[in-house]
Amino acid sequence: MTLDRTRPLFVRLLLLAFLVLVPPVGLLSFGAMDEFARGLVPEMDKKAVTVGHDLAASIERAVGFGIPIASLQGMEDFFAPVLAANPEIRYLAVTDPSGAILFLSGAGREALEPYFSVADFGAAGAEHPKSIIGNFINLTQSLTVKGSDVGHLHVGIDHDYVRDRLLEITVDIGVVTLVSLLVAVEILLFVVAANVTGPMRVVGKVVDKVRRGDFTAICGGGSDDEVGRFVHRFNAAIRRADDLFRRLDAYIDEVRSAHFDKSVVERVADIDSRVRFLFRFSRTGQPEVVTERQATDIRLPLFLFVFAEEISRSFMPLYISSLYAPIEGLSREMVIAIPIAVFMLVIALASPSAALATARLGSRRVFLAGLIPAVIGFLMTALAHNVYDFILWRAVTATGYAVITMACQGYISQASQQQNRTQGLGVYVGAVLTASVCGTGIGGVLAERVGYRTTFVIAALLALVAGMLIYRLVAAAQPQGRDRAPRKRELLGLLRNWRFSALVLFAAIPSKIALTGFLFFLVPLALTQDRGIALGDVARMMMLYPVAVVLLSPLAARLADRTGWKAGLVAVGGVIGGAGMLLPMLAPGLEMIALAIVLLGLSHGLSASPQLAMIPDVCWIECRNMGQTNVLAFLRLAERVGSVAGPLLAAALIPLHGQEGAIVALGWLVLGMSVVFALLSFAYGSGPHIETELAE
Amino acid sequence: MEKIGQTSLAAMSGGLPPPRPVRWSLARKVSLALISILLFTLLVAGFFAYFKFESVYSSQVQSRYSFMVFTIKKRVEDSLNLGLSLRQLRQVQDILEHEKQRDAQVLAVEVYDHRGEVLFDTDRGAIGGKVSDALVEAARGNPSQAFGLADEDTLIVGLPLVNALGKVEGGVVLRYSAVYVEQGVGGLLLELAKAVGVYLAIFAVVALAGLYLLFGRVGRKLAGMEHALTEVLSVGGHAVPEAGGGEFEEHFAEFVDKTREAIDHIRDATDEVGRLDRLA
Amino acid sequence: MRRLAGLVLALLMLAGGSPAAVAADPPAKPFRIYMALWRGWEEAAQGFKDYFANQDIPVELIVRDAGQDKAKLKDFVAEARRLNVDLVFTWGTTVTEEMLGRHDAVDPARHITDIPAVFAIVSQPLGGVVPSLSSSGRNITGTTYLVPPETQANLIQSYRPLSRLGVVYIPLERNALVAIEEMGAIGEKSGFTLETRAVDLVDGKPNPASIAGKVAELKTAGIDFLYIPPDTFLNVNRDLLTGAALELGIPSFAVGENAVLTSKAMFGGVYRYYTVGQLTAYKAEQILVHKVRPADIAIDAPRRLSIIINMPVVRRLGIYPPMKLLGLAEVFDPAEGGVK
Repeated sequence: MTLDRTRPLFVRLLLLAFLVLVPPVGLLSFGAMDEFARGLVPEMDKKAVTVGHDLAASIERAVGFGIPIASLQGMEDFFAPVLAANPEIRYLAVTDPSGAILFLSGAGREALEPYFSVADFGAAGAEHPKSIIGNFINLTQSLTVKGSDVGHLHVGIDHDYVRDRLLEITVDIGVVTLVSLLVAVEILLFVVAANVTGPMRVVGKVVDKVRRGDFTAICGGGSDDEVGRFVHRFNAAIRRADDLFRRLDAYIDEVRSAHFDKSVVERVADIDSRVRFLFRFSRTGQPEVVTERQATDIRLPLFLFVFAEEISRSFMPLYISSLYAPIEGLSREMVIAIPIAVFMLVIALASPSAALATARLGSRRVFLAGLIPAVIGFLMTALAHNVYDFILWRAVTATGYAVITMACQGYISQASQQQNRTQGLGVYVGAVLTASVCGTGIGGVLAERVGYRTTFVIAALLALVAGMLIYRLVAAAQPQGRDRAPRKRELLGLLRNWRFSALVLFAAIPSKIALTGFLFFLVPLALTQDRGIALGDVARMMMLYPVAVVLLSPLAARLADRTGWKAGLVAVGGVIGGAGMLLPMLAPGLEMIALAIVLLGLSHGLSASPQLAMIPDVCWIECRNMGQTNVLAFLRLAERVGSVAGPLLAAALIPLHGQEGAIVALGWLVLGMSVVFALLSFAYGSGPHIETELAE
Repeated sequence: MEKIGQTSLAAMSGGLPPPRPVRWSLARKVSLALISILLFTLLVAGFFAYFKFESVYSSQVQSRYSFMVFTIKKRVEDSLNLGLSLRQLRQVQDILEHEKQRDAQVLAVEVYDHRGEVLFDTDRGAIGGKVSDALVEAARGNPSQAFGLADEDTLIVGLPLVNALGKVEGGVVLRYSAVYVEQGVGGLLLELAKAVGVYLAIFAVVALAGLYLLFGRVGRKLAGMEHALTEVLSVGGHAVPEAGGGEFEEHFAEFVDKTREAIDHIRDATDEVGRLDRLA
Repeated sequence: MRRLAGLVLALLMLAGGSPAAVAADPPAKPFRIYMALWRGWEEAAQGFKDYFANQDIPVELIVRDAGQDKAKLKDFVAEARRLNVDLVFTWGTTVTEEMLGRHDAVDPARHITDIPAVFAIVSQPLGGVVPSLSSSGRNITGTTYLVPPETQANLIQSYRPLSRLGVVYIPLERNALVAIEEMGAIGEKSGFTLETRAVDLVDGKPNPASIAGKVAELKTAGIDFLYIPPDTFLNVNRDLLTGAALELGIPSFAVGENAVLTSKAMFGGVYRYYTVGQLTAYKAEQILVHKVRPADIAIDAPRRLSIIINMPVVRRLGIYPPMKLLGLAEVFDPAEGGVK
């Protein structure tokens, strides 16, 4: 086991976390299901008795009119609506006093006949004798006409029905378990990185120096755990060497300055230069303290903050719709779409200044400053009265969101200058995606239980926790004036590079349109309003998107690296996403929408990282002139046009095509744009493009 | 990591300061984190399980009562179809009272007209009064779809009454005790709380054991390296990397040797300078 | 029978007694409705009146009974105009055609045209007072009260599978021939054939004595059901007709309640006049309260049919109704205490 790398220790920890978290939740839900069955079955019995009572009254009435019980007509039609309206009732049967089956709906005769023919219902004594036949619970009601027993009515409850209802509960608990595992991953990753691997990596660096005779550095940090103790002792060893050297140095100085014998001075000078030749010591008089900023430091706060924002993902349009009041000249759908679009717009507008502020003031301060609008935004969104103040508070939240995400990106890019750039990006994307999985999944279930408003309050609390972590754990970072900020004209000049503009217009923008228009806006609306699906289920369906992205992204990144076929992957991704949204056209089922969501995840998982990876090739010159970070930032900014347009487009399509029709229509749009990109992608070629330079 | 060479009990610290005490061991820190997550997970899972059960259970109870209401609705509408207005259906009062008797949890069954005036009620004193606007509104909904409402400590399930013209004449509602539903699900809450407590205790122990095992190794390894460092510095000899150790261990061994070498060298140099100094 | 009559009477009294009891907010101004009746106050008129009471719509009813005298109707037209009422209600084919005019012969001088009107209990409004049931095309609307033949056929088929439907008819009546033709066409669509036998004529008049023989002929032809259309002659001789069917073990279906309630038809389907009156009032409400143009209101029948099953006949035949039908039907069983 190596201590300076996260993975080996972390894998073991994860295994342990799995072992500690999953079995108790499993046992808990297993026990709960048992308990549920015990509570639910008597209720179902009562229902069956109520239904049986009503049916028996009708049968007794008919028999009372002089119709022989065996000659009752149309019993199938009589039973059918009852069976249809009460899914827990599996069969209905009438037997004569001897137990022979006269009428039976919903189950096979052979399953019940042997039982009915031997059972003695009269002698059971109870008013509604209950018995278990195979998988059924059979409740018997005697049919009495004018005091004489004419037969029995049997209501059969399906035991599987109970089990199926209870299984739904395990789905909820499954989501909770998944989310807490992911949260555990984030927290453990943080704990391990901050306490073990981070300091040990610094130790490794210092070790590397020392073994080459360089005693200029000692490790920073000093927690009161085993690692801290080790570091303390480790530093002590270096300090000891340093100490001895200082004493020697002083001694030599003394000898050199005070000694009268030139040869001694010379020989002492030799010794001095020999020692200095063999070993290096700090010039400042004591070893320099080495600390290291890691991208993972900010991962947990970032995760928590994005979690807070994503929590409202599955019900945002529904919440707006609950605040809805007609606005002159706008359709209902448009009114719902506007706050979502405004949110995206404000992020786009605030991001560049937020990035600038991060560069000037450092990530920590900017993150903490961003929390103020974010938390106020969440809290006031919870208290919103109408659409107008809702839009205002969402815009405030968006400002916070832009500031905080920019601060995190700044921190990560600075930290990863010391490490690996792609790894740094992975930290950011990883945190955002897991937060998206957790937030979407838990938010829907939560809102279903405690309501929209309380859920926003929880979001505010999460954001506060994120702020606390930043405040306590992230060291005040020194501002960094890295790349000079490019002028606007330069950035717009980027658009003259046709490969770049095509990438923005036909790949980046449609993919954002699909995300915000389809997933964020249409899916919650179409599923809950057209189909009356419970919010928790909607959220679980929406969760499929980040899950698909998470599973696919690393694969796509590797594929892009290996094959170099980046434009192709982007094109294929776009086409898959657009085509997926056409699926609801084929069949009206829920599965089609779910599949479309998965395909969108697949699409973005495939195309997102190749899209970024293309930039250095596509904009080779521009990257050199104004820095890759700035070009990437501009791409991000430009694609937000799609984020803003998505919900507005979708809202405009609903009155024309209906909600599910709008999905398909949006799908055609996205597919069309992606096809254009696919055609253009053949002209992209590979490797860096420098013709722009030649042209200018 | 071990060290070779002669061992001496003298000057174990090798001139190093005394080791710093471990106040918060890694195992304790991570246990705290993991057990908090476990507690949180169990609480949220229990919370969701409880609410889900509550919704399944109460909808099961409601479906039973909505069946009863449906039966009443059919009978009232059949009578309406005979050509009488709702308020003239005197027999409805008997139907309501009969249905109420069948179930002890039923608090009241009432029929009101489209304006909300109570026409028949098992609680005869309420006849002539008004039902809440929410009920009047609910009766205007889908005539074959039962509606459910809550009113303080009673739960209400009802259906609109429709005449032969397809026009809503009013509604029939059944009030049943909310306490009944609460009792049905209350037992579960206790069971869940107990289970959460028990599993938390058991798996906290598992977590502690696992983490002490895991970080015990880390701690031992660090202590081993620390020990080797101290020994080599104070006594001398060479540090050799632990068998099977990685690059880090090799480098650390080199570090130890280099440090020792530096200390020895500087000491020798100091001695030499001293000798030269005295020589004169 | 007497018990049943008593029940109906009691219901009527109940119905009549209550409207005044309805507490209503003091109306700004009641709607004035001119009710022109043909043979006195009966159930359709009562249903019409009760509807307004139940819905809390203030109305002032000006009730005029022609007493089956066509000559009075001219005066009614004049009076309605003079009183400048808000709406006119006409009862029956004669009153309606005389006061509102047939659709192809409206004379503003003789007929009411400027005041909106609703009609009820008109046997054949289509082609009579209106050109189409979806719209009168003028200032009137109304209701039908005869069960459409399709509904009748459906009802019979819901009792038991039908392959041959028998009917005895009067060859003199053009209406009967039209009805039979219509039923035959429906049979072609839904898979049964119609067996018809005309009653013998003696001196140009139908002979009741021949009815039993005709039923026997139908039995030989293999019918599953005897269909009794609405017809005055058959109504008068209903005991002969239904008795013969019962003797031969043929189930019978009657359009109208008399053959079931006071004779031996097995079951029947009818729209109650009371319900028809209510529906007519509903349409009046659309015109008066909601200001819908009468031409925009379709002419139709109530949605729910009253089905009556004669239980003693059912027991004698041993042909039992399906549970669903039994649940919907009113069961006539004198031994068990009348209609249930």
